[in-house]
Amino acid sequence: MKILVTVKRIPDPVEPPKFAGGQIDTSSAKWVQNEFDEYAIETALRLAEVGGGTERLAEVVVVSVCPATKREHVTNFLAMGANRAIVVDADDTQLDAQSVAQLIAAVFRKEGADLLVSGKLSQDNESNEVSQRVAGLLDLPQATFAASVVWDRSANALQVAREVEDGVETKRVPLPAVLSVDLRIVLPTSVKNGATPEGHPYPDKPRLASLRGITMAKTKKVDVLKPADLGVSVGAKVVSRGVVAPPKRQAGKIVASVEELVEKLATEAKVL
Amino acid sequence: MNLGPGSLFSPTAEHDLVRQTVAEFARREVDPRAAESDRRGTLDVALFRRLGDLGLLGVTVPAADGGAGMDAVAAVIVHHELAKYDPGFTLAYLAHAMLFVNNFYHCSNAEQRARYLPKVLSGEWVAGMGMTEPGAGTDVLGMTTTARRDGDHYVLRGTKTYITNACEAHCFLVYAKVGGRVTAFVVDRDCPGFSTSGHIDKLGMRGSTMAELVFDDARVPAQNLLGREGDGIGHMMRNLEIERLTLAAISVGIADRCVEIMVRFANERQAFGRPIVDFGQIQRYIADGFAMTEAAKCLVYNVAREVGPDVRNRIGSDAAKLFAGPVGKTVADYAMQVMGGAGYCREFPVERLWRDAKLIEIGGGTLEAHQKNLAKDLSRHVRG
Repeated sequence: MKILVTVKRIPDPVEPPKFAGGQIDTSSAKWVQNEFDEYAIETALRLAEVGGGTERLAEVVVVSVCPATKREHVTNFLAMGANRAIVVDADDTQLDAQSVAQLIAAVFRKEGADLLVSGKLSQDNESNEVSQRVAGLLDLPQATFAASVVWDRSANALQVAREVEDGVETKRVPLPAVLSVDLRIVLPTSVKNGATPEGHPYPDKPRLASLRGITMAKTKKVDVLKPADLGVSVGAKVVSRGVVAPPKRQAGKIVASVEELVEKLATEAKVL
Repeated sequence: MNLGPGSLFSPTAEHDLVRQTVAEFARREVDPRAAESDRRGTLDVALFRRLGDLGLLGVTVPAADGGAGMDAVAAVIVHHELAKYDPGFTLAYLAHAMLFVNNFYHCSNAEQRARYLPKVLSGEWVAGMGMTEPGAGTDVLGMTTTARRDGDHYVLRGTKTYITNACEAHCFLVYAKVGGRVTAFVVDRDCPGFSTSGHIDKLGMRGSTMAELVFDDARVPAQNLLGREGDGIGHMMRNLEIERLTLAAISVGIADRCVEIMVRFANERQAFGRPIVDFGQIQRYIADGFAMTEAAKCLVYNVAREVGPDVRNRIGSDAAKLFAGPVGKTVADYAMQVMGGAGYCREFPVERLWRDAKLIEIGGGTLEAHQKNLAKDLSRHVRG
């Protein structure tokens, strides 16, 4: 079993965006890892490991599309426990979702992977497209926004549940497949592989990298591929015409009475 | 200030990842339990064992022996980030990982490492170190605890006091004189003739405990001798450097947190119709507090680059603690002054940090001990 996990760097969402030339200016941004990718790697690791032991049921490979020199986020995921990494060397700020999906689909094929695990979205543009596009390109079954997953190893399939408005929707997905995960996937009993003992004390968050994991990360293999190596010609079909900050909110007015409020809504705001 | 990879504070990507891991652990798991540990005056042993899960208990032990194989800068990062949320818990970590594990590693043999490292690196065993005595603190060489060889044992007699982790620890690195020469031993809690006193209650650092170690003709197996008889001074002096450095890092953590808290408070708290950060008197506390915190941080991290098992840097480590110690206390005091009554009450962590900060001016060497050492070391090349 080989699990591919998509990971992405994003401008630190805590810092307010800067605008230049009608676009978001990321030239001085602090880049951090996408938080949903931590949920994806945690899912993959819980599927792969036998909790409490050292045996692994699957290889976990992280893949990121980013400049080869800007891959600190990849090291973070290796430190968390991924076996190795693949970096597709491309300027991610210039690619649209379809291009990224083509590259990831090509890596999936090249690796002969059995499962792709992605966070449901990246926190920068929140487009929530890549995993679905990859499933389409590979013509594989997909399950999105997973809140829990059970790996039925004898049947080579996943049973995936997601929360919907009126309850929980459960799907059985044969492997190979594509999975995108939601926040609740990291609850202590959300991921089962039939090998980790029931009640294994998983935390309710993605794991922290241990110091040993951090020191081991630099010894793990990282393959760097160019889009051409994958036979993919990238180029954004979606063109961004301009991005502007929302207009500044006007200061409010404090009124002295309900009567004054109604009067202003009628005469100034003209909403009554 | 940029704390990222390549900076003075995180020279490599690994250092940066260690900071991220420890900072996140401290926010998630240490912070929510800090006030309760302080109120009870106990070490949270379950939380302490989480440090073992993360590999933090062997931060400076080589990877081949089960540690993380990192340097003094990494040790400073761990203490700095943990201390922002619970300096008392951090002190228990220091007593275990620096005073026992780091020291033990560098003066033990392969058989001793095989016996102790798995237990103390995982956190299964808590550990401590015994140096100070009721009649010998700064005057450490005046210690009166003795050890004499008796067959395949050493018989220890004397008392150590103010020993962090003494209430919980399963083993201790202890200094005693053999024929007048300071010698180091590992003493297990179940050693015949060994006991610990009741918990010594204290002002701050209450997330860790303190007690006396009592050796009443305690019979310590000769295989627990660390190095050779008379080697103790060398072990002690080498380890005091990283002890002082990491104590200084705790002070930096306290100061950092206090700056953050007072800046937020001063912007939210209104007086005379304006946030109090608009007032010059408040600005002075914030600006001076920030500047001295940054100065201490730079000094501590700069010295950390020159501290290790194979280099001696007493001047640097004494200077780092002499300068950083009072900074933690002063900045905590500034934060309390900015916050007024809120700072004095237990609703905010500042009063706890204020109580914790004082220890750094005393433990691991008083300010006066550092002044004595520095004057002596700086005069050496003049006086020959």
